[in-house]
Amino acid sequence: MNEQPVTDALLRRFLLGQANSEERQLIESLFITDPVSKERILAAEQDLIEDYIENCLDTEDRKSFLLQYAQSATDQRKLRIMKSVKDWAVKETNTPRVNPAGISIWNRLFAGIKLKPVFVIPIAAASMVAITIAAFWLSRRPDEGSKEHLVKQEELVRLNDPANLREVPSQVKVQEFAPVSVRGVEQRELTLQDNSQVMELRLAWIQRENFPSYRASIQRLGDDKPFTLDNLHAEGDGEKTIRILLPAHFLERGTYRIELSSIDSNKAVSSTEEYSFNVNG
Amino acid sequence: MARGSELPPESFDEILAWFDPDREVAGNIYVQLRQDLTKIFAWNRCNDPEWLADEVFDRVARKVHDLRQTYEGDPRLFFYGVARNLIKENPKKIKSHVPLEGAELPAVPSQVENETAAMREDCLHHCLQQLDGDRRELILAYYAKEKQAKIDHRTELARQLGTSVETLRVRAHRIRLTLEQCIERCLNRKM
Repeated sequence: MNEQPVTDALLRRFLLGQANSEERQLIESLFITDPVSKERILAAEQDLIEDYIENCLDTEDRKSFLLQYAQSATDQRKLRIMKSVKDWAVKETNTPRVNPAGISIWNRLFAGIKLKPVFVIPIAAASMVAITIAAFWLSRRPDEGSKEHLVKQEELVRLNDPANLREVPSQVKVQEFAPVSVRGVEQRELTLQDNSQVMELRLAWIQRENFPSYRASIQRLGDDKPFTLDNLHAEGDGEKTIRILLPAHFLERGTYRIELSSIDSNKAVSSTEEYSFNVNG
Repeated sequence: MARGSELPPESFDEILAWFDPDREVAGNIYVQLRQDLTKIFAWNRCNDPEWLADEVFDRVARKVHDLRQTYEGDPRLFFYGVARNLIKENPKKIKSHVPLEGAELPAVPSQVENETAAMREDCLHHCLQQLDGDRRELILAYYAKEKQAKIDHRTELARQLGTSVETLRVRAHRIRLTLEQCIERCLNRKM
């Protein structure tokens, strides 16, 4: 039997009934004899079912899926159950959690201090005035976080000026990334050893069309604002790459997401790819 | 064995002994292998996968006595070989293509069809209560996002749990399977 690697793409073809006889026998015998492979196959099947439920399969795959997974009433029941689980999770996540008694904080506050109704309106009015003054004062006050963000943003723009990108610093550490939409792409881990280091991120642009410029938005999960870089250009004749220089001291532990958008001749965003990596500290 | 068989019980005992000298271990291997063969027949779109899985055991049982002396390697692969022969023998009877739009699946004349969304929801909530808090939270978090957003979300979730996305996927699969089986049992009780 051909010992070819069992990739996610092969598993998907197998599950859709599109694998050839040799591939089928390889996967089925692994399914029977190797518990790790078995769980991987079943998890891949789960992903496929999810993609169907989310309407993410193309016409051909959808047709194959229906032949394979929706023929019997029992199969259809499984699909319905899966959809119920997903719907529940999405709904639960999007529903704001209410306090157990279902009473607003204001109701509880007023109930707690037992205010007579006659006092409520003057107190509320005074509170509103106080809140407005405080908000105005806070908005005038320079926010330290915003200032720091602005300084870093300017530094990043300077570093990624096209002239600088032509003369890359000597101590640069190159990291290549594929978009997360490419199946099988593993989460990259970056370990920083030196804060003075500059990272060169090479983002593969997998779409065929070329664009006059690109915009990158870099954000650590949990941070308020992203750093944005405009006027980036793709390099390479065949496989295109967009380069970004990033000082190591910008990076903190956590997961970063880069959204790379192509900008067409009308200055409009036409398509976007996402990239992701972890910083280990 | 799962269906009425004309084979003497000694043959079945011999199959178990071929799997493992420990009868309990051998029994687990039998149950697992039968499930796996059923799944393989289903993937090959064979009619009545469970009946076919039993047929594999019946066929092997007829010659297990000699096989034990001569066959080298994992016995499960021999069963798989018999299953492949059965797949070739069994003409695929693919039912007419039933279009499905989203989750609102069309009417199918069966008992299962009488289930309603409300019944499924009841059973889902009942079965979620059977899961411990950690597993309920994990399945909630795992399925919280859809389409493109779920990739980032699951990557972040795996990072928070200190594991790989692949391991997270398998863990979620196990929990979902438990949940699905519980919901199926619950729905069957309601019918």
